[in-house]
Amino acid sequence: MSVPEKYKLKCDISIPERYKHHVLTNAEKPNIPACNVKTIPGDMTERGCAFAGSRGVVGGPIGDCIQIIHSPAGCAWYQWGTRRNLSAVYAWAGQDTLCNDSHNRRRAITTDLQEKDVVFGGMEKLEKTCFEAWRLIPGAAGILIYTTCTSGLIGDDCYSVARRVEKKIGRPVFVIDAPGFSGVSQSTGHHHFNVQFYDQMLEYRKKCPEVCMKKDEMGPYDIAIIGEFNMDWDLVYIKPLFEKLGCRIVSVFTGGERMENLLKIPDVKLNVLHCQRSCTYISKLIKEGFQVPYIDASFFGIEQTASALRGVADFFGSQKMKEKAEQIIEEEIRCITPAIDFYREKLTGKKVGMYVGGPRVWHWQRVMKELGMEVVFSMCTFAHEDDYEKINARSKNGLFVVDNPNEFEIEECLEKFKPDLFLTGLKEKYLCRKLGVPTVNSHSYEKGPYACFRGMVNFARDIYQGVYAPVWKFVNL
Amino acid sequence: MPAQLKLNGRLTIEDLNALTEMPVEGITYDQMYIEKEPICPEYKEPDQDIIPSSKRTVVVDPGRICMPFGAMWASVGIHKCIPFVQGAQGCTTYPRYTFSRIFREPVSIATASFHEDTAVFGGRKNFIEGIRNLIIRYHPEVIAIITVCSSEIIGDDMEGYLDESIDELEEEFGPEITDEVKFAIIHTPSFTGSHVEGYNRAAAAFLKALAKRSTPEPKVNIIPGMITPGDIREIKHILRLMDIESTILFDISETLDCPLRLPQTMPYYPKGGTRINDIVNMGNSLATFALCPDAGGAGAKYLEKRFKVPAMIGPMPMGIYNTDFFIKNLAERTGKPVAEEIKDERGILIDAMADTFHYTMGRRVAIYGDPDIAAAVTRFVCELGMEPAIVGSGTESKQFVEEVWAAAHEYDYKPILLNGGDMFEWEDYIKKEKIDLILSNSKAANISKEAKVPLVRIGFPVYDRVGCQRRATVGYRGSEYLLDLIVNTLLESKFPDDRLQQ
Repeated sequence: MSVPEKYKLKCDISIPERYKHHVLTNAEKPNIPACNVKTIPGDMTERGCAFAGSRGVVGGPIGDCIQIIHSPAGCAWYQWGTRRNLSAVYAWAGQDTLCNDSHNRRRAITTDLQEKDVVFGGMEKLEKTCFEAWRLIPGAAGILIYTTCTSGLIGDDCYSVARRVEKKIGRPVFVIDAPGFSGVSQSTGHHHFNVQFYDQMLEYRKKCPEVCMKKDEMGPYDIAIIGEFNMDWDLVYIKPLFEKLGCRIVSVFTGGERMENLLKIPDVKLNVLHCQRSCTYISKLIKEGFQVPYIDASFFGIEQTASALRGVADFFGSQKMKEKAEQIIEEEIRCITPAIDFYREKLTGKKVGMYVGGPRVWHWQRVMKELGMEVVFSMCTFAHEDDYEKINARSKNGLFVVDNPNEFEIEECLEKFKPDLFLTGLKEKYLCRKLGVPTVNSHSYEKGPYACFRGMVNFARDIYQGVYAPVWKFVNL
Repeated sequence: MPAQLKLNGRLTIEDLNALTEMPVEGITYDQMYIEKEPICPEYKEPDQDIIPSSKRTVVVDPGRICMPFGAMWASVGIHKCIPFVQGAQGCTTYPRYTFSRIFREPVSIATASFHEDTAVFGGRKNFIEGIRNLIIRYHPEVIAIITVCSSEIIGDDMEGYLDESIDELEEEFGPEITDEVKFAIIHTPSFTGSHVEGYNRAAAAFLKALAKRSTPEPKVNIIPGMITPGDIREIKHILRLMDIESTILFDISETLDCPLRLPQTMPYYPKGGTRINDIVNMGNSLATFALCPDAGGAGAKYLEKRFKVPAMIGPMPMGIYNTDFFIKNLAERTGKPVAEEIKDERGILIDAMADTFHYTMGRRVAIYGDPDIAAAVTRFVCELGMEPAIVGSGTESKQFVEEVWAAAHEYDYKPILLNGGDMFEWEDYIKKEKIDLILSNSKAANISKEAKVPLVRIGFPVYDRVGCQRRATVGYRGSEYLLDLIVNTLLESKFPDDRLQQ
């Protein structure tokens, strides 16, 4: 199922196995590229590691835990306040003051492994580190321990350390074992986090049943939002929509959330799953283990957010809620129509390239359409088959799609498809701009939030500013 | 507090979702009021016994990153050099992310993409395949082979792999292929040192791999250390005024601060960087000046030992004393007189100091950074009549301690010295001592706001302000810029408006 000659990227002639990762979309008969497989060494991949997926993406947003990186200082440093996964939980900075940044982004805590630890093992150091961190940040709700390449290779038994610490401090101490070299991309780290968190949550709920929601606390419309990481406060727009609908949001996995609420996820009536790449795993486990169903939802764009609301209303089945959903949708659309009309007029016919981790590439196909823009090519860092199925279903037929693109392919696609804007992350942003192509940061956003109806105005504005910035007039002499 | 004051024009989540029409310009997070929730209801004091780094095992807010990062920083300062990182993908992606944050520039770094099988069977296959793919697609002139924690632990034999790799390349593409590309292997297991040591090792590794001695030339070598493109431009400016020929090793001034001028080459390469031939020639120079003793000193020592090129190691030329020392040594080594223009530049700095000492004198300063920069800043604030109250280096260094004590004794101060301590400990001192000004990097921004002490950003990394990479803080002109920053920050924070009309 190779692509036609005119789509063959010249930069890959000497590594032809890359062509298996390129396809043209087809809504009827989806074309799935080779995906979720090993990276070709030295091909200038943009992928990160499993540790980035576990600590950076899924675990990073958790608001009130001490997150310890069992590694030399570097790995902890790189995770320190980088992603804009915001939270309202702040540690104390002094008697009457809170810290300047939310707790999950404020500090980097590490065992700082040294050569002797690599030789003799780092378990003792880890145990001491946990107790000391607990004494330095005494208000925390628990500890999350992450392994990395170093601690993974020396084979420390972090679980036994965690159990000992847990017993002493009386709070959950979970281990996320996802060393950088495990798996082919960040995606493995998401997976490891989901499975390991679920297992330890289960165990903890058994050991301490008081953390579960009491029967009389449970409500008929309790939901949890799964796979939402509160980038730039997306939750400001997501939560009220469902609350207006009549739902109670018990927990968010994991955007800005507290441990006590995370432990209650199995007690809800429905899980609403946003990031269907990084968090389908735990949704499935909760469904199997607790018979709590989940529904897929997309909180980007008009049509998709509307359908998420309808989906939840349909699940609960009450006529009142269904009517409420329609009323909310109508009000929200009316609220943003003037702004979106303005941007649609400016952006209609503009060409956009898209390169994000996986889900956003299919979340955003329709959003681009709603803004009148044409997607000219799409790329995903760590998508799996199901992501590519969704891309096939949601995009125009014949869209050029690249799995796990490398830097050279990005350059060639920018030249070949000449997009007016490229949706991408920070590393690639400066390369694109150097080539004269505007970008919008699609991981941490430029000036978010971008989610739901009201957030879409911000997204449209940032795209508009990218395309219409006066600087682009001066680029060509 | 009155609600209006607290909101300060921002909207609560309720207000925001009750708006009946969104403004065209949207509403961003900075216009929202989101109530902060404390992590636990009541304030709990951290255990005071273990706040000093020496009293605990845990490291909180390290002032150092991994050793490979320093080696990558060095390598991208070479023309058409691509680092090849023998490790997992994160070991490349994170540093690239960090470079982009600081310099707002693209940085190409290749990875061996270690997965589980590599951890079990070793990185030989990934290395040979990776080097081949890199060469055949990017045609780099140099490849810096950089090891990381994982490849060092599994014991990858890089030298052996490289030999094999070259054999295979010659077989596939002919023997000419290896004329086109040079290699340097840099061993950087992070558990034995920080980014500073990584840069240091890169300096020694490149010179060992490439430098030769043939005909002596009347020029000097400069190994800048982890300073900004703007700093390197300032050093070039000084050398130009002194009419001194030079080779700057790891010249990031035209690789990490590049113009947007179309068309670009494909694949994109910055046009600058130190040329290979110049590195080869470094064995022929009159002297090597390593501006940062801990980051680059090893390269200068190697050239001295191997080719008898005298090594002039540190201190970083910032402020009067250090820059005088650098200029004097430059003049002595090359036999060139100190240019009139340089004397004028010095005079302008002195003039600025004479104009501002009432603002600076007696101010207590907290300093934290990489050892060479922190030491140089310490001496400069002493020269401005300020008291270095707490001085910290994230990377442990003997030279740092010596330099700081030398300055402190000369000016009769007794700073608290944190050699290799973390920022958590340093932060605690700032919050307890009376401090007027912080001189540190972007990682001190939260501390500055919490302690309500103004911050002047300097050193590595500065990512929350633009342009720092283009500005120099070395030489007389750079010090003058730093002085302006320091004084203006003090004026902004310490002086009521009616005192500014002097």
